[in-house]
Amino acid sequence: MKASSVRDALIAVPVPDELEAQRRAWAVVRGAYAEREPAPRRGWQLRLVVAVAVLAALVAAALSPPGRSVGGWIHDRVAGEEPTEPALVRLPSAGQLLVVSEEGPWLVRPDGSARLLGSYEGASFSPNALFVVATRERQVVALEPDGDVRWRVTRPTPVADARWAPTPGFRVAYREGATLRVVVGDGTGDRLRAESVAPVAPAWRPGEGRTVLAYASTDGRVHVVEADGEQLWVADPGATPEQLVWSDDAARLLVVTTGLRHPLYTAGGQPAGALETPEGQDVLDASFAPGTRTIGYSLYAAESGQSSIVLAGERLQQGEGRFEDIVFSPNGRWLLTGWPEADQLLFIGLPGVRRLVTVPGVRREFDPGGLGATSFPRVAEWCCR
Amino acid sequence: MAGAGRDERAWVRGAQAGSASDFEALFRAHWPRAYRAAYLVVHDAAAAEDLAQEAFLAATRALDRFDSGRPFGPWLHRIVVNRAIDWARARALRREVGAGETIEAFASEERRDPATPLPDELVAALASLSPDHRAVVVLRYVLEYTPGEIARMLELPRGTVNSRLRRGLDALEEVIGRPEER
Repeated sequence: MKASSVRDALIAVPVPDELEAQRRAWAVVRGAYAEREPAPRRGWQLRLVVAVAVLAALVAAALSPPGRSVGGWIHDRVAGEEPTEPALVRLPSAGQLLVVSEEGPWLVRPDGSARLLGSYEGASFSPNALFVVATRERQVVALEPDGDVRWRVTRPTPVADARWAPTPGFRVAYREGATLRVVVGDGTGDRLRAESVAPVAPAWRPGEGRTVLAYASTDGRVHVVEADGEQLWVADPGATPEQLVWSDDAARLLVVTTGLRHPLYTAGGQPAGALETPEGQDVLDASFAPGTRTIGYSLYAAESGQSSIVLAGERLQQGEGRFEDIVFSPNGRWLLTGWPEADQLLFIGLPGVRRLVTVPGVRREFDPGGLGATSFPRVAEWCCR
Repeated sequence: MAGAGRDERAWVRGAQAGSASDFEALFRAHWPRAYRAAYLVVHDAAAAEDLAQEAFLAATRALDRFDSGRPFGPWLHRIVVNRAIDWARARALRREVGAGETIEAFASEERRDPATPLPDELVAALASLSPDHRAVVVLRYVLEYTPGEIARMLELPRGTVNSRLRRGLDALEEVIGRPEER
């Protein structure tokens, strides 16, 4: 049988939903084409000048022995290389992503374009994503979306875990060593709020009104305090706190611990049940689905090396390695996780696993020009409607 | 080679200049094969749709940098197939509960369709190959690239492409007989 028979056979395989898929895809692609900004066309005179300059450089370079390799490199580029594709595709839902790589925080816009905001270590959005607060060694820095520094606070010792308070965004909390500090949202009024603070990111209670935040202390307890006032309540979660997460309605605080029980508290500090996890499995990250009290979390079993993503008790995804982040889209229709072992971001369409969108080559995307040996970036937040 | 022609070059130039109709012509000319190629590699219609769509979005964003004198198809197909391989590898790594079921369902679907001109075994044979092997078979026999072109697209040695083709064809041979390479 001839090769054409193989082709005919494969071409004859019915592909499900072909026309509908084309129609859907065309709607998306047409939109992207309409939004694109064509690159300005340079005049032929400029191109000619550039061509002459390149030719002169080539001739000059080729005169020396090292010029051979330079000449070869240029030939490869001129003769064969195709345009590089942008690795990260359009976000499947509205909002912007904040991704933190070794290079620093990146702002990823809905069309997938990404901007490095500078050389910082950790970052989070202001309430409406108008600013990003980041840390670098001893500095807390408020950045504009183009990376310009709006204000900075410099402390004597290293700082971390800066978090901007919810609307109207009057405060920023951060840790300096074993202390918790609060600064006004314009960079003024920096002051100590608490001592003996554990290395856990503080969590602002959502909602307008009183500016309230939760933090963990070195004795393993959780404190909920007014930013500028009194302590509202204290609780002992029974194991060392690792993460503090509020529900959108501020009615529940989840305390992820190193144990098997991760307690929930009401806004007033009353116990409200717990998330129980199996023996030998750690919660890597957890978050409430937007507008709900449903918890999504990533479980990691060290013995098997497997992770799973669980939402409302349903296991959505399982895989080798670690699903590092649990980040919901602002509309709650997508759950995003980073998967270092596969060098991928996974966008899981909800409910269930309605769709699964994978973005490969994540290390390279957030380390342009690097060797691909960097650590996997963390997805910090997806904001806002 | 697939899809290089005067019309296509004109469409690319028109699309770069802002002609929505030329861009649509380019999309309609290339979507069916891109989607089919992705589907035959990943065996999942929703994923294939995403992959082909993402490839077109990537191409759209890079359109202004594209050399209109070169064929558009190989550029697009390289993106589609590489992403399909990544996706299929990742699915294997994830050991999805439904992964085996997807392939089985795919084959079952073929069995249920009396109009299907193919034996079920062709689909099953393709599904039995690794994503890398499926990709090479699809590039060669669906998208009609030469082994040398495939080697460049996938950044593989030519010998690796040939060996993957041989292994792929071995699997298909029992179903439709060994193809005669020309």
